Amino acid sequence: MATNISTARNPYATSFGTKVLNSLKNLLPTAVATLILLTIWQLLCSLPGATLPGPIQVVEETWPLIIDPFYRGDGTDQGLFWQLAASLQRVAVGYSLAAVAGVALGVLVGVSTLMFRALDPIFQVLRTVPPLAWLPISLAALKDSQPAAIFVIFITAIWPIIINTGVGVQNIPQDYNNVAKVLKLSKMKYFTKVLIPSTVPYIFTGLRIAIGLSWLAIVAAEMLTGGVGIGFFIWDAYNSGIVSEVILAIIYVGLVGLLLDKIICFIADRVVPAD
Amino acid sequence: MSAFVVIDHIDQVFPLANGGAYIALKNISLEIKKGEFVTLLGHSGCGKSTLLNIIAGLARPTAGGILLEGRQVTEPGPDRMVVFQNYSLLPWLTVRQNIALAVDEVMSHLPASERSEIVEHHIDMVKLRPAAEKRPGQLSGGMKQRVSIARALSIKPKVLLLDEPFGALDALTRSGLQDQLMQIAQQNQLTCIMVTHDVDEALLLSDRIVMLTNGPESYIGQIIDVPFARPRERLKVVNHPNYYALRSEISYFLNQQKKAKQRKTQVVAIARNGLEKVNLELGFMPLTDCASLVVAHEMGMFKKYGLEEVTLSREPSWKAISEGVVSKRLDAAQMVAGMPLGLTVGMGGRAPIPVVTSLVLSRNGNAITFSKRLFEAGVRNLADFKAMLTAEAGAQPRTLASVHPASMHNLIMRYWLASGGIDPDHDVNLTVIPPPQMVATLKAGNIDGFCVGEPWNAHAVSEGLGFVIANDLELWAGHPEKVLGMREDWANQYPETHLALVKALMEAAEYCDDRRNRGEIAELLAKPNYVGAKLDYIRAGFLDPYDRGDGRPPETLLRFNQFHIDMTNCPNRGEALWILTQLARWGIAPFPKNWVDVLDRVRRMDVYGAAARALEMPDTAPNRGSFALFDGTVFNPDDPLGYLDSLAIKQEIQIQEIDLDGAVSKTAVAA
Repeated sequence: MATNISTARNPYATSFGTKVLNSLKNLLPTAVATLILLTIWQLLCSLPGATLPGPIQVVEETWPLIIDPFYRGDGTDQGLFWQLAASLQRVAVGYSLAAVAGVALGVLVGVSTLMFRALDPIFQVLRTVPPLAWLPISLAALKDSQPAAIFVIFITAIWPIIINTGVGVQNIPQDYNNVAKVLKLSKMKYFTKVLIPSTVPYIFTGLRIAIGLSWLAIVAAEMLTGGVGIGFFIWDAYNSGIVSEVILAIIYVGLVGLLLDKIICFIADRVVPAD
Repeated sequence: MSAFVVIDHIDQVFPLANGGAYIALKNISLEIKKGEFVTLLGHSGCGKSTLLNIIAGLARPTAGGILLEGRQVTEPGPDRMVVFQNYSLLPWLTVRQNIALAVDEVMSHLPASERSEIVEHHIDMVKLRPAAEKRPGQLSGGMKQRVSIARALSIKPKVLLLDEPFGALDALTRSGLQDQLMQIAQQNQLTCIMVTHDVDEALLLSDRIVMLTNGPESYIGQIIDVPFARPRERLKVVNHPNYYALRSEISYFLNQQKKAKQRKTQVVAIARNGLEKVNLELGFMPLTDCASLVVAHEMGMFKKYGLEEVTLSREPSWKAISEGVVSKRLDAAQMVAGMPLGLTVGMGGRAPIPVVTSLVLSRNGNAITFSKRLFEAGVRNLADFKAMLTAEAGAQPRTLASVHPASMHNLIMRYWLASGGIDPDHDVNLTVIPPPQMVATLKAGNIDGFCVGEPWNAHAVSEGLGFVIANDLELWAGHPEKVLGMREDWANQYPETHLALVKALMEAAEYCDDRRNRGEIAELLAKPNYVGAKLDYIRAGFLDPYDRGDGRPPETLLRFNQFHIDMTNCPNRGEALWILTQLARWGIAPFPKNWVDVLDRVRRMDVYGAAARALEMPDTAPNRGSFALFDGTVFNPDDPLGYLDSLAIKQEIQIQEIDLDGAVSKTAVAA
């Protein structure tokens, strides 16, 4: 605290210094809250008869995993980095496919009233199906756990992308459409100069929701399909009775999810045109 | 000069959520010349932007169409570029890119270097060089509108459409841009159509100002020609001697419309059949052209539309009819065409009583009959009569009769006399006699001629008492003759009954115009409780060839009695305005300064249209425009006062503002 105050009073403080100070100020409440939560967790788990390990015990028990994420063993015995990488790879494939198909379908239902009437009710029904409910069907159809897991990601991620893109296209301001009509803009020009620029903010809202859902779905899907991946790692740890590893994995899952969200936000900020 | 843009009988109807329909525009017709700057002016909600969108092709009219250089407009296109009210620039493109988008698309046949030259030229034209690389978000409102104008002009449209282009700008920016637009429009000979609600802006920029009435069913209320010479300068325009006269004329129009907007109708309890009132007392005069009332009564049209207890009351005179309706003894009545207008503006110095008409019952059917004595004295036409009067100067003047001061008989006979150089108020003696007494009075020698409807001319001719010197097919074919008239407060109190009555009478009118039915109708009319005349007299002109009694063989006049065909029933406002000018011309009533409002209230086109649509008949109205009677004097409905000025024979014209709502409250107090 003493250093903080002295920095604040320093008349020669650089703007960089002020920035660091500000972000420290913002982080402080988070740090305090985390500390309190950890304390409560530790206290609760120190009670007699506690079934779960406390934070200190978790760190002690999983120390090898923490310090060596790049460990390579046989089969599913891999470091946490590789587990996460395997999961991320599946997400990347499924999500990319969903993004391409979702934007295309969204534009289609947005542009054509007929297509909207035909397809929107179907989308509305399908999007309520929980991701894991697709797994048996995809396993039955694709006969392999790897493509089945990717399909689950795809089918989970595609709905918010379609729906948001569709809404975005439908919400292109009438003014812009009128300009396009009066100028008789060609289809291609309308698409690149009007439709896409004005729909991009909606598309990114969809993409952001979709990335969150994909990450949720992959953990669940991997628990069932097995193989290398953070989902199966959790399941495996549970079956081996090592709850500390489960907890560590959950923390990693949360952090990676947050990171994915931030990445999409970062891209959106670069791509979405400023008004 | 042929029209460049033709707006041809546009109707625009929007379906409502409750299954009804909102009629935004009704029968809008306008022709615009090349290089002309036309402004559409009106209160918000009057449909002026809707009309502009229709011209742009962004909206399709429900009926009618737009022609540009003779070709129908079916979709938007760069030949009708729009400057939108909210600029409509693409925010992700720079000023240059926004203009280039238009130029590259529309002028793709030009090489790239030429296109970029055009873009740069237009950036300079609106003085936006320093902002060329900026995006719309970084520009002020005025700059954005300049980009929008530059974009519109860069593609060289045939017509430039401007939708309240300066509405959102501050006064200083606005006047600067107006000057700029005026200059550009002049230099490039642009044809412009602009929507605005700013009177000064309209006067500064336009050649013609088209003023729309309030919705629903907006129509062109008045068109004003702006006479200021071009090129114009703001200060010179403002200091022009006509400027404030025009400005106040426009403001007056807008104020009238504002008042009209504030009126509301009350809701009344329904009696039966979905109608507020099913027992009606309707007045009529014993004349062939009461046929549609008689048919509606006898053939069940009244009952069909739920009017269960209609009594037709045979009235002794038109005066009795007007008093019957005013005193509310009669619910509605057959009236001579000028009566609702005359009562509404306060005919003969009486307080104005708003009376409406939503249906013209008949057209034509009158003739001017002169006595056999004049025939024997050699009178065959108007010139002969004039010569006779000149020869007789100083003696007792000849006496002619019509049926009511506000009747077409009176107005057309006066017009006819005046066209022959005879002042009807000095050179002859004019008197009013109820139709059934005409023949007897002529026989007694008290009058030398009359103008009346059938069967009374035929009666005089067949008895050898007179001859028809002119019939109204020769004077004004298709003029409105009898109308359905009722008090405005009655019409407001019983709107559904009113509509049912109009529907029943329209259907009856259609029946009357089928010549196969006319024999039967003539027999009905001959009955003593209706016309009570010999069948032969009624059939004359109605069905049989018409004998003028001047030795020529009888001729078949297919349109002598017109009940339905050719928009007979439409109470259109142009002809009503002519009647107003004639009432004023002969000192019968003052000319209402607020004539647009008077016509809007008296001639209920909305009820007529609703009835026609309900009967699945066309609800079209005749063209709004100038017309002429037999003598060729053109009547321009946009300049009734100029028309009155131009007439040689007339009385002193009184012009008054008629306070229609004040009149209502006064009579209410009196009652």
